[in-house]
Amino acid sequence: MSNQRKRLTGEREDEDDEDAEGIGEWERAYVDDRSWEELQEDESGLLRPIDNSAIYHAQYRRRLRMLSAAAAGTRIQKGLIRYLYIVIDFSRAAAEMDFRPSRIAVMAKHIEAFIREFFDQNPLSQIGLVSIKNGVAHTLTDLGGSPETHIKALMGKLEALGDSSLQNALELVNEHLSQVPSYGHREVLILYSALCTCDPGDIMETIQKCKKSKLRCSVIGLSAEMFICKHLCQETGGLYSVAVDEVHLKDLLLEHAPPPPAIAEFAIANLIKMGFPQRAAEGSMAICSCHKEVKIGAGYMCPRCKARVCDLPTECTICGLTLVSSPHLARSYHHLFPIAPFDEVPAFSSLNDSRRTLGKSCFGCQQSLIGTGNKPGPCVTCRKCKHYFCLDCDIYIHESLHNCPGCESIHRPKSVSLMEE
Amino acid sequence: MIFKIEDVTVYFPYDNIYPEQYEYMVELKRTLDAKGHCLLEMPTGTGKTIALLSLITSYRLSRPDSPIKLVYCTRTVHEMEKTLAELKVLHDYQVLHLGTQAKILAIGLSSRKNLCVNTKVLAAENRDSVDAACRKRTASWVRALSTEKPNIELCDYFENYEKAAENALLPPGVYTLEDLRAFGKNRGWCPYFLARHMVQFANVIVYSYQYLLDPKVAGIISKELQKESVVVFDEAHNIDNVCIEALSVSVRRVTLEGANRNLNKINHEIDRFKANDAGRLLAEYNRLVEGLALRGDLSGGDQWLANPALPHDILKEAVPGNIRRAEHFVHVLRRLLQYLGVRLDTENVEKESPVSFVSSLNSQAGIEQKTLKFCYDRLQSLMLTLEITDTDEFLPIQTVCDFATLVGTYARGFSIIIEPYDERMPHIPDPILQLSCHDASLAIKPVFDRFQSVVITSGTLSPIDLYPRLLSFTPVVSRSFKMSMTRDCICPMVLTRGSDQLPVSTKFDMRSDPGVVRNYGKLLVEMVSIVPDGVVCFFVSYSYMDGIIATWNETGILKEIMQQKLVFIETQDVVETTLALDNYRRACDCGRGAVFFSVARGKVAEGIDFDRHYGRLVVMYGVPFQYTLSKILLARLEYLRDTFQIKEGDFLTFDALRQAAQCVGRVIRSKADYGMMIFADKRYSRHDKRSKLPGWILSHLRDAHLNLSTDMAIHIAREFLRKMAQPYDKTGTMGRKTLLTQEDLEKMAETAVQDMAY
Repeated sequence: MSNQRKRLTGEREDEDDEDAEGIGEWERAYVDDRSWEELQEDESGLLRPIDNSAIYHAQYRRRLRMLSAAAAGTRIQKGLIRYLYIVIDFSRAAAEMDFRPSRIAVMAKHIEAFIREFFDQNPLSQIGLVSIKNGVAHTLTDLGGSPETHIKALMGKLEALGDSSLQNALELVNEHLSQVPSYGHREVLILYSALCTCDPGDIMETIQKCKKSKLRCSVIGLSAEMFICKHLCQETGGLYSVAVDEVHLKDLLLEHAPPPPAIAEFAIANLIKMGFPQRAAEGSMAICSCHKEVKIGAGYMCPRCKARVCDLPTECTICGLTLVSSPHLARSYHHLFPIAPFDEVPAFSSLNDSRRTLGKSCFGCQQSLIGTGNKPGPCVTCRKCKHYFCLDCDIYIHESLHNCPGCESIHRPKSVSLMEE
Repeated sequence: MIFKIEDVTVYFPYDNIYPEQYEYMVELKRTLDAKGHCLLEMPTGTGKTIALLSLITSYRLSRPDSPIKLVYCTRTVHEMEKTLAELKVLHDYQVLHLGTQAKILAIGLSSRKNLCVNTKVLAAENRDSVDAACRKRTASWVRALSTEKPNIELCDYFENYEKAAENALLPPGVYTLEDLRAFGKNRGWCPYFLARHMVQFANVIVYSYQYLLDPKVAGIISKELQKESVVVFDEAHNIDNVCIEALSVSVRRVTLEGANRNLNKINHEIDRFKANDAGRLLAEYNRLVEGLALRGDLSGGDQWLANPALPHDILKEAVPGNIRRAEHFVHVLRRLLQYLGVRLDTENVEKESPVSFVSSLNSQAGIEQKTLKFCYDRLQSLMLTLEITDTDEFLPIQTVCDFATLVGTYARGFSIIIEPYDERMPHIPDPILQLSCHDASLAIKPVFDRFQSVVITSGTLSPIDLYPRLLSFTPVVSRSFKMSMTRDCICPMVLTRGSDQLPVSTKFDMRSDPGVVRNYGKLLVEMVSIVPDGVVCFFVSYSYMDGIIATWNETGILKEIMQQKLVFIETQDVVETTLALDNYRRACDCGRGAVFFSVARGKVAEGIDFDRHYGRLVVMYGVPFQYTLSKILLARLEYLRDTFQIKEGDFLTFDALRQAAQCVGRVIRSKADYGMMIFADKRYSRHDKRSKLPGWILSHLRDAHLNLSTDMAIHIAREFLRKMAQPYDKTGTMGRKTLLTQEDLEKMAETAVQDMAY
């Protein structure tokens, strides 16, 4: 239906091409990419639905390949304990409306999602928030492990004012991060919506300082490529990308969630003292050490000094011990042993493939792999267990599950039966 | 990589080659085979220079029996250095693959100011005084005198060079100006004279246009080049103007006064010589009776600038009797000066053909045409006889004699224009007498006649059929190459209306309209807020730029721009402009962002690159037509119409559009680069204007971008910048390959052979 509507707009567009005066903002996107031309008809003259899933999957595969290429096949060390500062540019440019409803709202929305995803993937890491406003950098939150506090602090301060200064932000973050323990990975992720930076001094010196203190700076631009940002990222080994639209912005942000490869200097094995606090009993009353409030139940007790904290992971405010829970550690494990990307099954060869005719359904979700018109749909296969999976399962396995159901069932047939139950 | 083009093995120093570079080489090779001239247009940033150099040197290697010589002409010293640096890479590659037999001698030649190593000479501030300071130390009579008087200062480098005599040779290799200086310093030889001497042995010579086109310089530097040379004019889109300038002279009141002073001095010298050494003057007289043609033996090492007229127009006969004696000649010059002075006193603009000028000169001052013709040579001979070394002081009288000789020699293609004041400032009397040449083919004709192949190449030569007419030659190949791109990295737009839908233009009746000025301002305000780093704006003239910036300042538009980016302005002062450019680059580097206001036809528009982040957007405000009321331009247009049947309008548009293309072409210098170009004038949307833009711009100019208003342009710019910021694949997708490897080329050659077989 929506395709047909698009087609209608397209035809009207063609008609009033002569007097191009009347092109409204909403029509222009169609003029530019001529989306109606992508429509195709099948043999019977019906419109063929545009299959976007293949395109999305291709994008995902590219991303996956990029990540695995970085890993270069062999096991590499990853920085699992990350100290990340997110710098958000709340300067005048953030009020622009090219992202709906405004850049600032879109940024906030996706940072919120990113913070949750980040802690999900990096339970041992901590985040801090810094904003740039009126040419000055402010600390919104200090380093901490609780997503809720960050999100609350972020949402409270949504207004865009004045110039932007990259140097001020870098100086501030550098100062904050100079105190983190040496085993932690220092990172900054800058969401930059302005196109210039008004700095009090020489930004090149600041960049060199960041490089010296092993601060990995990544920038996501919201409007166009800036030389200084590119330079910063190149110097400090970070990633520089520019968002095309909202979806792309989200993708770019989430690319920063998995831990980056460890910097060589940090790659020495290190012992870290950690505490595994017990969850306090339901209904027990105590004053928590982080908010100084009386709370009933829901809290953890530091095993060393018995102080009460609300969230994990964190550092005990009394004795400074790193507090984590064992599931956190376990969840970080998969980054070290990622499952290899699945091979794509070429559509034509699969026709004569005898094994393919046997298993016509995805091993993950048991859905049929036969696409429209009785042709085999796109699918992938695991290199180890040779089972076939549909594209959705491919993404799910690599991004959320981190275990291949096929391989698992080969090694421990029992667990399969458990899963199937 | 090494590959074959027909029967020539080409050595190319890089692993990959662009398809258009390959085509360029093929066309060039055919030109060389045909021993004809060619005209090749290829966009900047596609490696034109290296393609050219590697083909011609490879061609030379493949024909060892008839070695060709490459004469490469550049516009600036900077380009010369760049060319030599590329040649060095290429030469190293060839030597690596072919051994020492591939060794060539390549030199860059420039003026004394750039090549001198004598610190005392270099202390002089401009080119002419460096030349004079050098002559003071190296002239033959000075050196002869120094044997008697040891306190006369000589140049050690020159003395050593002279002592080495025939042994003073450069070993094979590629020498940039810096290398030449270092070599000279090391050996204690004068690099300038060494380079001049080596011109006849070198396989590749890189120098400025003037050394071939200006008859004064060409006569002494380039006369020994053999016919089997390939002459290349790089960045040659303005070659007709260079040719015209080489034959034009202008005389002002200051020139006349200076010339009078020079004459007094010469008189004084003549008197002194008469008292001390009357024999010398007599000897000169006798020599002149025998004829100027024999003057070669007089000078020895002391070469003067040669005759300003073209070689085949110089008469090989004796100097007329009335100027053979020194004092008579001085009298003639005095009368000439007086006459010119009278003519300059005019109240209104006068235009005259050389013929009528000469005849009125004859009737009023009694100087014949033949006498005029010999003025330059006679002056030269006199100055040598009088042993004058401080040539910079004698520039005014040389200019006058220059003028006299040209006016006496040419009856067609020139006109004399006398203007009592500058049109733009009618209250300040500043009379000027100009002898302006209208025919660009005059100066370049000897070059076409003399050399086997002449290659004229540039990034903007459109429309390509006009150049052969302007320069009156028949090219065997004339082609325009497109740029193969991995992505659409340029985005030209024609902006015809402001956001209020009012048309914008710099047409004379519209340009000062407040609405147009405001719309132009708003365009920039909007653009600086969405374009990162550097933005360059070109205006049609200094006066227009000054006016519009003043208005923007009053209305607060400039302030709005300054909030986003710093503003830098080109001025007529070179030092100021250099400083502004330097700071502009710094502002782009550190992320502050900057706007550069510049002028089409200015120094910045011609020679400075705004590549990468130094220029993400270039805005061309208006169509840069020449000042159409200028008398010189009108005279030239008339001549072009009568002689070459080129319509006035056609030529003006062609000239304006090539300037505009040149301006916007500054923004993209390589394929990895990207940039936007905005033509802000409603006249660009007309077909007759637009079609004269070079093909590589036109092919990216989409129909949808032909008639934009400011807000639509903003939208397109935003999308474009986002798209360009994404990572991309350099080698291009399967459909359009933009980097060819050796295998690709071999495959192409095979298919070509198969095509021929069937």
